[in-house]
Amino acid sequence: MRAAIYYKIKKSTINTLIHLFLISVTVICLYPLLWMVSSSLKTQETVFKDFSLIPHQLHLNNYVLAWQEGGFGRCFLNSIFYTATVVVGIVIIASLAAYAFSRLKFPGKNVLFIMFIAAMMIPIPGSFVALYVLLNKLHLRNTPVGYILAMINVGLSVSIFLLKTFFDKMPKELEDAARMDGCSKLGIWWHVALPLAKPVLAVVVVFNTLAVWNEYILALIIFDSRQFMPLQVAIKLFQGEFVTNYPLLMAGLTIAALPVIIVYLVMQKYIVKGVTSGAIYG
Amino acid sequence: MLSEGKRFHILSVFIIPVLFLLSLSAGCSPANKSNAKTTITIWHWMTDREPAFQELAKRYEAQTGIKVNFELYAPSDIYSQKVRAAAQGANLPDIFGILGEKRDFASFVKAGYVLALEPYMEENSASWKNDFFPEALAVNEFAQGNSYAVTPGIYAVPIDIMTIQMLYNKDLFKQLGLNPDRPPRTFVELLDIGKKISSTNRGGSAMDYGGKAANMQGMVSGWGDIWMIDCFANNYALNIMGKDKVIATIKGQVPYTDPDWIKVFALFKQMQDSGVFARGLVTMINKTAEQLFANDKAVFAFNGSWGVNVYHGMNPKLNYGVMLPPKASDIYPMAIWGGAGSSFMVNARSKNKEEAVKFLRWLTDRDQQAYLVEATNNLPANKNCLSLAPELLAQFSKGMDNATHPNAWEVWEASTVIEARDKGIQSIIIGEKTPEQVASEVQKVKVRELAKKR
Repeated sequence: MRAAIYYKIKKSTINTLIHLFLISVTVICLYPLLWMVSSSLKTQETVFKDFSLIPHQLHLNNYVLAWQEGGFGRCFLNSIFYTATVVVGIVIIASLAAYAFSRLKFPGKNVLFIMFIAAMMIPIPGSFVALYVLLNKLHLRNTPVGYILAMINVGLSVSIFLLKTFFDKMPKELEDAARMDGCSKLGIWWHVALPLAKPVLAVVVVFNTLAVWNEYILALIIFDSRQFMPLQVAIKLFQGEFVTNYPLLMAGLTIAALPVIIVYLVMQKYIVKGVTSGAIYG
Repeated sequence: MLSEGKRFHILSVFIIPVLFLLSLSAGCSPANKSNAKTTITIWHWMTDREPAFQELAKRYEAQTGIKVNFELYAPSDIYSQKVRAAAQGANLPDIFGILGEKRDFASFVKAGYVLALEPYMEENSASWKNDFFPEALAVNEFAQGNSYAVTPGIYAVPIDIMTIQMLYNKDLFKQLGLNPDRPPRTFVELLDIGKKISSTNRGGSAMDYGGKAANMQGMVSGWGDIWMIDCFANNYALNIMGKDKVIATIKGQVPYTDPDWIKVFALFKQMQDSGVFARGLVTMINKTAEQLFANDKAVFAFNGSWGVNVYHGMNPKLNYGVMLPPKASDIYPMAIWGGAGSSFMVNARSKNKEEAVKFLRWLTDRDQQAYLVEATNNLPANKNCLSLAPELLAQFSKGMDNATHPNAWEVWEASTVIEARDKGIQSIIIGEKTPEQVASEVQKVKVRELAKKR
């Protein structure tokens, strides 16, 4: 009886401590987001004076102002378009390439794969000028196609690495069965490999969605026309060299964060599955 | 009911080609529709001035029929990368700005991207040139025999000017029992105020000031970015030993172990000991410093004239004044950093370069400069409209008489030496090193740099 009470107390103490720890981690993770939303409802003056998370006066108009002054309408659509096209492009090319690296035998396979992996080590800003000159020579600078191709290229190496690791572990018997059913190599990729790789694809989709959605440096460098700029560039307009309009900046960031949060929530099941089934290595 | 696999298949078959076709069609459409009218394109990074620039572009088009496209690219560090990349791809616009050090500016000039403006400035008995503050032009000028080996001349047009000075909070001055209309003029007076701030924070005299003054900070500034420390140290170096000796140090003719330099380094120790400096000053970023000063938490701030806009946004009721850093010596005048704030260059390879120069001339005329002062709260580059500046800006502008800037000097210090000097000052402030130690360490770096040059 005494032992039962002892173990019960011990269990509830441990549970309480774990919950306290998890609550504190949650608060640490959520606080910046809450501060962002809270600041988006304040004025430039009260951002620096009113430190409470719930503002005394809610300035919802900041969202309207941010949308209008930042020209968010077009930029928002541009961002959705770039994100969708780039992610679809990466998924198709990376899964085909990863499948080829994993299953096909061709000369220079390892060298090519190492080159892709090496590309992961190159910091993106280091390649901007070279990329600019290349796109300029191809007459693709200041065009959405140029930007989309560059962004697909940026996301390929990590995606190929993740997918190849998964395909390497995939049982060969499944492919043999598909081959006996008359599937071609492309058919096996489409009917067997891709459906099985859904958890990894979810990770690839989420990582690349985040990367493309939040990208603004390359866009700012290769685009001259405002009509092609993504949302993140519009947000940066509230951040001056000396003067930053914090309420509008935070309202803009809140607007920009919403689609990403939605994507994450929709794909949460697959991401957890992808991570727990060992989709991410290294 | 379709199976999951079929839905996926149908989605892929329809959506993917549509997305790619859309992207291709967008890419194939011309980026800029041709326009029969002359259009001047200007790239800039000044988010706070964008609405004013757009308004001026409209006025210019109404007056001349020439369209002006101000294209804003922010933040400024990415803007700089864009300008560099555009130079490599021969895509620079008609007018642009170059951010960074003077050597960057020099490299653009030497590569032939920047039009020499001296001939235009000298037209009609130099009427255009005479409109500007000489200090503002000096930053955009390469003198005879400059160490960058650039053909002497003026290569950019200043749009506005800035000075970096000390600010003091008049309300906190009153709480400390000081005259709010008489800021400290000498270094000794500054140290006395530092002692007053310290004793107030210890609680001894907080009651005398109604308790409000307790926990007030001394001087705040963005000294986490070492260039602002460098600016402050240069002010006192120029005050204690004069410009010639500072230049001689850069040239390697005077060592950093010279007693005058040790005196400069020692000033930081005295200020720290007296309590003039705010807590955590050496790692403070300028945004934090501005926030503390705007919220009546700091007695002094060391900041640029851009701060007028920042403080107004944070606390429109802030009651403050502008002052020169109190002089530590009577031998040489107190100097501050100042000169051109933002400048525009004309693309030497542009087919619209003549129109671009005409536009810049119009932009820096009295009326347009007056409009920029009113709309953006920046100091005008045209000295003829200074009288139109609001009171605080006018106070900043008084500092132009004492202004200089290393970019306007014919020689420049090596970045490793500047870094050693500024990090050394940080070490003095946190009590890690003595002024003599720092002087000796900076000199070692200087000797290494001089050896490299040889």
